[in-house]
Amino acid sequence: MQLARIIERILIAIPVIIGIGIIIFLIMRLTPGDPIDIMMGQAGHVSEREVELLREQWHLDESLGVQLGYFLKDLVQGDMGTSFTKGRPVWDLIKQALPATVELAFFGAFFALLVAIPIGVISAVKQNSLIDKISMAGAFFGICMPIFWLGILLIIIFSINLGWLPTYGRISYDVNLQQVTGFYVLDSIITGNWPALVSAIKHLIMPSITLGFPMAAIVARVMRSSMLEVLRNDYVVMARAKGLREYTVIVKHAMRNAMIPTVTVIGLEVGMLLGGNMIVETVFSWPGLGRLVVSSIFVRDYPLVQGVVIIYAFTFVAANLIVDILYTYLNPKISM
Amino acid sequence: MKKAPWLLLVLFLVVTLCFFPVTGCQPTEDPAVDDDEVVDDPNDVAVGEDYTIVVGLSQTILTLDPANHRDRVTETVIRNMYDGLVTRTPDGVIVPEIAESWDNPEPTIWDFTIREGVKFHDGSDLTVEDVKFTFDRIIGEGAMEGETSPRKGLLGPLEAVEIVDDRTVRFILEEPWPILLAMLPHQQIVSKAYLEEVGSDIAVQPMGAGPFKFVEGTIDDRIVLERFDDYYGGSPDLPPVGPAPAARVIFEFMPEVSTRVAALQGGDVHIIHNVPPDMVATLEADPNVVVKTVEGTRMHMFEMNVEMAPLNDVRVRQAINYAIDMDAIVDNILLGYGTTVAGPLLPHGFALNTDLQPYGYDPDRAIELLTEAGYADGFELVIDTEDELKDVAYAAASMLEAIGIQASVRIWDWGVLRDQLLAGERMMVFGNWGNSTLDPSDLLVPKLRSNDRGNYSQYANPELDALLDAAEIAVERDERISLYYEAQEIIYNDAPWVFGYVGMEIEACRSNVTNWRPSTDSRINLHRVGLE
Repeated sequence: MQLARIIERILIAIPVIIGIGIIIFLIMRLTPGDPIDIMMGQAGHVSEREVELLREQWHLDESLGVQLGYFLKDLVQGDMGTSFTKGRPVWDLIKQALPATVELAFFGAFFALLVAIPIGVISAVKQNSLIDKISMAGAFFGICMPIFWLGILLIIIFSINLGWLPTYGRISYDVNLQQVTGFYVLDSIITGNWPALVSAIKHLIMPSITLGFPMAAIVARVMRSSMLEVLRNDYVVMARAKGLREYTVIVKHAMRNAMIPTVTVIGLEVGMLLGGNMIVETVFSWPGLGRLVVSSIFVRDYPLVQGVVIIYAFTFVAANLIVDILYTYLNPKISM
Repeated sequence: MKKAPWLLLVLFLVVTLCFFPVTGCQPTEDPAVDDDEVVDDPNDVAVGEDYTIVVGLSQTILTLDPANHRDRVTETVIRNMYDGLVTRTPDGVIVPEIAESWDNPEPTIWDFTIREGVKFHDGSDLTVEDVKFTFDRIIGEGAMEGETSPRKGLLGPLEAVEIVDDRTVRFILEEPWPILLAMLPHQQIVSKAYLEEVGSDIAVQPMGAGPFKFVEGTIDDRIVLERFDDYYGGSPDLPPVGPAPAARVIFEFMPEVSTRVAALQGGDVHIIHNVPPDMVATLEADPNVVVKTVEGTRMHMFEMNVEMAPLNDVRVRQAINYAIDMDAIVDNILLGYGTTVAGPLLPHGFALNTDLQPYGYDPDRAIELLTEAGYADGFELVIDTEDELKDVAYAAASMLEAIGIQASVRIWDWGVLRDQLLAGERMMVFGNWGNSTLDPSDLLVPKLRSNDRGNYSQYANPELDALLDAAEIAVERDERISLYYEAQEIIYNDAPWVFGYVGMEIEACRSNVTNWRPSTDSRINLHRVGLE
């Protein structure tokens, strides 16, 4: 039954993604700015014939309806088209960039949870203590702080001043990592390339902290408030009355229940991590999807923007689905 | 509750362990520096043993196919793997490269003699067939695996390329085109046999006859090249001639300027380009870094819509020229890294009319002209621009306020603004236009010929059009100079622009980088660059 519900949810996601594809198709074409004109730039000789041929080549001389037809026909066949500016299939470009983004988002989320959940729990348990006040002030700071500033600050401290961490990119060029999955940490473990593993992790630290910091701040606050609520419940008092160890009361009884609202937030935040990392990718020269989509928006590379947005949409839908599945695990009373 | 500090301890341990790889490692060393490599005489560069030069570029590139882009940074990377018939010195002088010499027997015919012994990275010889194939692929409709090259227009009226003998190719033009040579450095020679084998995959597996061959990398991540040991040596006019000293070259893409600067200071990269003037002081304070500059080729100007009142009155346009203190802008915003211009041409470009003197800052004269034109009380003016140029636009607006013009600045996404500029819907725009050929044709025609593709001032003057058209096909150098002299005078007097400035190209390198200086067209050619 559960499995049937999951399959149904996945099937519902398909029209959602196609719908988003159509919306982004229209938005891009309604935005002023001509892709060929922008491509030709503010310099150089341009012939009218050349512009005409390129327009024809990319179907820009056709009506919007016909262009949409081409787009949808290709999309349902799994073809996202060819990038105007890069001349390569959009899917190839996404395939190259996606592992970088996913790896960064994963480690960003890992950092965020590693920091946020213990802080949230401790703050709740030690409500109004100094630790609580410092943590919540830190969380407030984390929510407010612009991440490009944090990123550059980290680079100045840890790269320029201390020389501990590299300033940019995913891996050093001299470690010769053989790519298997595109996830460098995983690839270096699979191939047993330890210098590459060290390099990949060193490159991940600052971007992950920068990306995960705002999420950590939000999750810590949510975790704290839901823990506070749960700790006042009768079953916690009951657990204590039974003489259980405080650790067991907090981790097994209180935390698991407090996780339910937290998981919702985490789900949304993971979506944000994947979709909202353009700034971090730019600051750390991280070759991911965010950087790819930003540059393609400015040059009106319609197929590339459409492709990346569809991938983002897919990610959000998938993250929501996973959160729903996790709910049922955390609280069997909830069904999908 | 009592045991909660446990959690804190666990957290502390986990975080410490998480950071362990960092604290356990040595500081990042500069992996590329080999102390034994010292390059004294640029003409006698020994081929390096094992050093790597890392370059931080300000954007990702679009492709590795020399015929399928219109992007300067992309060309910078490609140019290190491919050579052209001719090239440019860092000062912008055209010199032979794969072509040994050329002849221009008739205005529409150019014969190029190809150097002997030029090899592609796969070991095959570069022949006249390859040269013809390269240009056919660019100018032919659908000749690029069914698509048309977006570089077609860069070859103007080139109609056909014919093989004369096994060392000579003939370029046949539809009409005389004096700037052909100046445009040729932008085209790189590809191998016919290789292209026929790999087709559009040349965009990911490039193979040329340049100083470095492709090893690995993608256009969004990094590009790794290594020295091509059988390189014919490059242009004899650009010593040293021979294989490149550097064993490896890596291009990294770093759009954020703070990151580029940090990477250079941290020793992670050796050369960075596109340094904004306000970062120069930081870099100059670093003993391990050297900042280098060269006159740029991008003209910056305010274009006034001559069709829109009150800018349709030449007195108003001249008044605005007098009211904006361009020297102050260059001194205070560009921190001196720029040169003001008197008229519409680059200060180091071809056919500069040196008789023209800058309007100069003269607010009294500006008020006088405005009063004469009937605008003693000023008028409302919106200056459009894009984000990276806003500081200059704001400065100009405040200077215009001083003579009573109520000026404001509006910042746009360029793609959105451009359509409105071409439709004549905006009053005044501050922007720039590239002129890497240093030839007026490349700047005055698109910007000021009636209805041309960059004519944001809506300027239409049949007299100027006639001069520009005549200069486009004039063969004699002196004739072109005199036509352009006259054209500059007309433009100067009609003042469709507030004549602005040319910013310097500011680049920086580690102090151990040898024989490198920035090019006027901002390309980074690493063939001759070494490390000590």
